[in-house]
Amino acid sequence: MGKAASDDDRPLIERVRRGDQDAARTLYERYFDRIYNYAYARLGRAEDAEDLAIDTMTRSLTRLDLFQDQGVAFSSWVYRIAHNATIDHYRRHGKVTLVPLDDATLPQSADPSELAIEHLSNEDLRLALRDLTDEQQQVLILRFFQDLTAAQVADIMGKSVGAVQALQHRALGSLERALQGRAVN
Amino acid sequence: MPEVQRLEALAERLRAVDPTMPSPAAKIRGWNLVSAAVQQSATVRSRSHSVKRLLLAAVAAAVLLVAGAIAASADSLPDSALYPLKAVVEQARGAFAFTPSDQLTYHLDLARTRLTEAEAMIARHRFDLASQALNAMNDQLNNAAVLVQTEKLADPAMAADMENRLLQAIATHDRQLAGLQGQVTNPAAQNAISEARDRAAQAVQLAKTPAANPSDKGPGNGSASPHPTPKH
Repeated sequence: MGKAASDDDRPLIERVRRGDQDAARTLYERYFDRIYNYAYARLGRAEDAEDLAIDTMTRSLTRLDLFQDQGVAFSSWVYRIAHNATIDHYRRHGKVTLVPLDDATLPQSADPSELAIEHLSNEDLRLALRDLTDEQQQVLILRFFQDLTAAQVADIMGKSVGAVQALQHRALGSLERALQGRAVN
Repeated sequence: MPEVQRLEALAERLRAVDPTMPSPAAKIRGWNLVSAAVQQSATVRSRSHSVKRLLLAAVAAAVLLVAGAIAASADSLPDSALYPLKAVVEQARGAFAFTPSDQLTYHLDLARTRLTEAEAMIARHRFDLASQALNAMNDQLNNAAVLVQTEKLADPAMAADMENRLLQAIATHDRQLAGLQGQVTNPAAQNAISEARDRAAQAVQLAKTPAANPSDKGPGNGSASPHPTPKH
């Protein structure tokens, strides 16, 4: 998955503002797959991810009048919309993880070094990821599934790069414990 | 294995997870919905801009119309449809005359304007309007005379200067009125001019009258009347 575009989007955004459908199509093609991938990692259901990606792209391309005042890259703005849509989805469907796994009741006796990472399936990772807090999920998905830099993630999450790096470290620790817990159970 | 290495290995494993892609059908369905929304949004924006442009044009036209009417009314005469607007503008101008000297200038300007209008109305044989204009001129001169008298209590030096300006203006007007009186043959116009000259002379008397100290006046007569009755 490629890096999120930023400066390249500006001319297209101006054209979309004037009602240019071709420019809208280009931006749609540029972001739809990424947002779908992000949404799938967060929600775990293809149908929900589709709806969320469509909703995100619709909001992004029809509310460009709001974008110009945000002071962030278009890609960051799109991810923020996707994140807010995810939170809305959780609220409607009643799934939010607010307690960091550091404090959660995961088995602490298991030895993390016993975790055989090479034997983990993609599905194991996706499921364990959804045990993390909202912020921890977001940072890991953006950094490793979306292949964004810490600076880009900081822009999306409205945090400093240092805070993102610290959050990423804690999130990886939590994920390791979640995987360990799943292996024990 | 140390924690740092374990977490790095876990991060690498996350990077290796295959991206989940939407089905082609989902992507087409998505584009159809997004495209329709973008088109609708552009149409609404376009309509909104059209309405805004129309409103702006209407406001600009109204402003131009009012500004044009005000400009045109400045030279209007009592028989013109724009004349009432001229009175409104003159009233507004009066609100910005703050010092006694400015107020005197304002009254003298209006008196001169009314005299010019009276001359024009006489030339057009509109003697009724000429008479009204002369009355209005005398009202302004009387107001100026009251102003001078009031100022005598507050600032005698300024009052003397103002009185001098008022007397010069009335003298100039009287010469114009005398010339006009020699030219007109209509009795009503003759009477109106004669009366105007008499009232102007009364204004002179009023301005020259020494200011009465409020403490010398009886009860209920503590301030100068806006329409004093001059003594002969």
